[in-house]
Amino acid sequence: MQLSVLAGLSIIVPLVMCALIAMCPRSVDKKLSLTGVIISSALTIGVMALFAAQGMQSQTVTWLSIGGVAIMGWVFDKVSCLLAPTFVVIGLLVVIYSTAYMSPSNREHPDEPRRRFYAFMTMFIASMAGLVYSSTLIGQLVFFEMTGACSWALIGYYDTEKARKAALKALIVTHIASLGLCLAAALLFWKTGSFEVSAIASLQGGWKTFVLLSVLFAAWGKSAQLPFYMWLPSAMDAPTPVSAYLHGASMVKVGVAIFARALISAGEVSEAVGWVVVIGGILTCLFAFFMYLPQKDMKRLLAFSTISQISYIFLGFGFYIFGSDMSFAGSVMHIFNHAWAKTLFFLIAGACSYCLGTRMLPQIRGLVRRYPVMGVAFAVAALAIAGCPPLNGFFSKFYIFAGGFQVAAGNPALMVIVIAALVETVGCFVWFLKWISSVLFGEPSEAVAKGQPLPPQMGAVFVVLIVMVFCSGFIAAAWLL
Amino acid sequence: MSLSTCMIVLMAAPLIAALAIAALPSKAFPRAVYECIHVVSIGFVLALGVYLVYVEFTTNTPITALSNWCRLDALSSVFVTLISIIGALVGIFSIPYIQHDVDAGHMDAGQVKSYYAFYSLFLFTMLLAALSNNIIMMWVCIEATTLATVFLVGAYKTKLALEAAWKYIIVCAAGVAFGLYGTLLVYANAADVLDDPSQAIFWTSIVPNADKLDPMLLAISFTFVVIGFGTKAGLFPMHTWLPDAHSEAPSPVSALLSGVLLKCAVLVIIRFYVITVGCIGIVFPRAILVTLGTLSVVYAAFAIFKQDDIKRKLAYSSTDNIGIVALCLGLGGPLGIAAALLHCIFHGCTKALMFCLSGNILMKYDSRSMRRVNGLLEVAPVTAVLFFVGCFALSAFPPFAMFISEITMYFAAIVQGYLWLVIILGLALTVVVAALAIMCVRVDFGHAPADVKKGEVPVMALVPEVILAAVILWFGIAVPQPVVEGVDNATSIIVQEQVDPLYSDALLTGIAQVNK
Repeated sequence: MQLSVLAGLSIIVPLVMCALIAMCPRSVDKKLSLTGVIISSALTIGVMALFAAQGMQSQTVTWLSIGGVAIMGWVFDKVSCLLAPTFVVIGLLVVIYSTAYMSPSNREHPDEPRRRFYAFMTMFIASMAGLVYSSTLIGQLVFFEMTGACSWALIGYYDTEKARKAALKALIVTHIASLGLCLAAALLFWKTGSFEVSAIASLQGGWKTFVLLSVLFAAWGKSAQLPFYMWLPSAMDAPTPVSAYLHGASMVKVGVAIFARALISAGEVSEAVGWVVVIGGILTCLFAFFMYLPQKDMKRLLAFSTISQISYIFLGFGFYIFGSDMSFAGSVMHIFNHAWAKTLFFLIAGACSYCLGTRMLPQIRGLVRRYPVMGVAFAVAALAIAGCPPLNGFFSKFYIFAGGFQVAAGNPALMVIVIAALVETVGCFVWFLKWISSVLFGEPSEAVAKGQPLPPQMGAVFVVLIVMVFCSGFIAAAWLL
Repeated sequence: MSLSTCMIVLMAAPLIAALAIAALPSKAFPRAVYECIHVVSIGFVLALGVYLVYVEFTTNTPITALSNWCRLDALSSVFVTLISIIGALVGIFSIPYIQHDVDAGHMDAGQVKSYYAFYSLFLFTMLLAALSNNIIMMWVCIEATTLATVFLVGAYKTKLALEAAWKYIIVCAAGVAFGLYGTLLVYANAADVLDDPSQAIFWTSIVPNADKLDPMLLAISFTFVVIGFGTKAGLFPMHTWLPDAHSEAPSPVSALLSGVLLKCAVLVIIRFYVITVGCIGIVFPRAILVTLGTLSVVYAAFAIFKQDDIKRKLAYSSTDNIGIVALCLGLGGPLGIAAALLHCIFHGCTKALMFCLSGNILMKYDSRSMRRVNGLLEVAPVTAVLFFVGCFALSAFPPFAMFISEITMYFAAIVQGYLWLVIILGLALTVVVAALAIMCVRVDFGHAPADVKKGEVPVMALVPEVILAAVILWFGIAVPQPVVEGVDNATSIIVQEQVDPLYSDALLTGIAQVNK
């Protein structure tokens, strides 16, 4: 009961703040947003602590039902109690960072921030918490659509023609994806009379496969997997803190979060779903890798990197369907770990825009001399994404692949997929190493030499994120295993 | 005062107000006099309408008047509530809007007078249509609404407005004539088979005897009814009058036309739907309604996308949403009907809000074209925020009300086994989302033309809009229990058995019945 009160408040408080931001003068928007998100962070961490103190027993609390049919509810288990604070705290870091980034002294995008930036950011964070805690497909759908609307408003924030198009693309592609969730909810209700995700387990044969594939459709759309990836690279027109949040801890994580929730509840799943998941995963993974190669803009490179990292998560889910619990844990860990690392990486790209006025990789050299904190952060983030021990990415990928090899033994087709993915990680490592050496070392290039100092808020956020990139692998392992 | 008298007074009040305004000479009295009578009229309708619905709801017994010619049951309650509440809110919005038009020189004293007179007359005809139990009267009332509104549509007396009004009256009169034919067929047939032919004109007498009617005649008559009253409701392909009339009328009138009047025509279709389903089952009505509904949704989705004029976009969106209502009716079953009724209510509120906002935009920009209307956020921030809310509410995004009715529609379709339909609808409605999102961006953001003065519209115009926005948000987060029960009761009348699709376990029972 207390858990649901805390969870409910963690969503309502930022939503109220969002309404207040819209009504109050511009001078207080940052404070209101920060207050809301800090309170929400504290509450989600409180949920996590209380859940741990209560012995980590999964529980579901229904808070809206119509005539015995649960419409909305919260679920508290190891996954939701880990992911909600992650997404909210990263949101907090992004808001802190934005207070420095969204300013007239930004070299690439000088801006006098308007209230809607903070209003939608705050609403976005609340929706993420709501999505993770939701125990019914209807609840997920509601928050799914809310995140879509928020991302639309934030991607289009700079209000250029290009940004407007990118925003619309994100809205429409993810709205089409949401039809999958809608279909899944309707079918589930028709067949079982319940909207609760846990009812998927009681579906018979083909219907279960169909419902899971519908959820997968929605998840692919939101997580920018093939064939829906196109909105994500376009969304790079968003202000960089927004991109960081979209990639690190919101939009793309919505997809994997709902699919994880469906799998947790589904019980025995047919291998057909497994094949669709792994084949989709490996195709996206390889496609995204080849798209790395021509990218010169740091944000676009990171966008494709996100697509490939998310595909590992899907691969892990696929391996779970084939029977490896280890892969599932690895995938959930990767949601958690990748969130910190990718947020860090994007915020560095933003800091480059802010200080240097460019984020084109070839123009950035000798970063570590002029900006030691940023340089270290760049190296840490790149190595974490590439999966280099002892950084967090290594642990989660290790679990995914260990599970993959386990289930692929005696299944040559699956083995090919696992090995292809493994080769991709090596390629990814090489590619990031190339950029590390070119960006960090050597004489500072012109852009770097003339850069303005890094604002303290950004430095502080980097330090927190670097620490988390080192620790999150252990935290996740301790929590989940 | 007995309830029957109350009901007569409810209908008579706006009529008297209309006659009173019409009788006063326009030059001799200041505008304030007309405004006062107008406020009294809408206030009266609001108070009495809500009171009667409340009594009907709590006692759960229909109220009749004029020897059963008029009847307030759970079904008409839904529509009377809609008429009285939206009529009052839009009526309040009218006052600053008309004031602005007078100041801007778009209207003279005579036009103001006739505006207020016809506004009350319009309310009267709609109330009569919703309360009528006499099937011929229903047709008369729908024709009367056309006559009452045609002068409102042409209120500005510009060339385009007059053309729109002309088109409106011709298309609707021709269309509704088909409705008369369908109505007469039912009446003639009922007079033949009923024990007491004098009762054959009452809907309440025909419904229990629907199974005695001739199936062939009923199929023909239902087709005519759908074509006839569907014209008035704005269903594709009979919708042609709608975009012109809605865009040329003064914005409050557009709000009332789209928010309420179209639903009155739907109510008449619902009445005949009940008779037809009682006689020949659901297969035939379903085929007609699902086909027309789907065509309306798909056609209107692209039409909305293509338009450049804000009010025309909203007008096509009405066709789109009436299509949804028809479709839900066609799907049938308690869930489908409940979805149709909920959609009537939610769309009524949302569309009234949007048309009022288009009125705000007209007041500021004096244009409806999205080429000119940019940067609303700089010019009138409150209107801009409401416009944003309205666009997303109309796109059926959560947490706004229409999300609930649209999702109920999807469920109804799946439950009836129309998977393909869900996919078509989902994609068509995605086009609507795109169109409205583009409209929202272009209107709200960017920079306003230099000649547009910054500053919000009068508070009196904003208050009804804020109330409507609050209502759609409230209904979206938690539909109040009385609304749910009211819709349940109305659904019970339509499916002619006691169900509560939205309440208690019957949501599942309804499905069980369908599966049988």
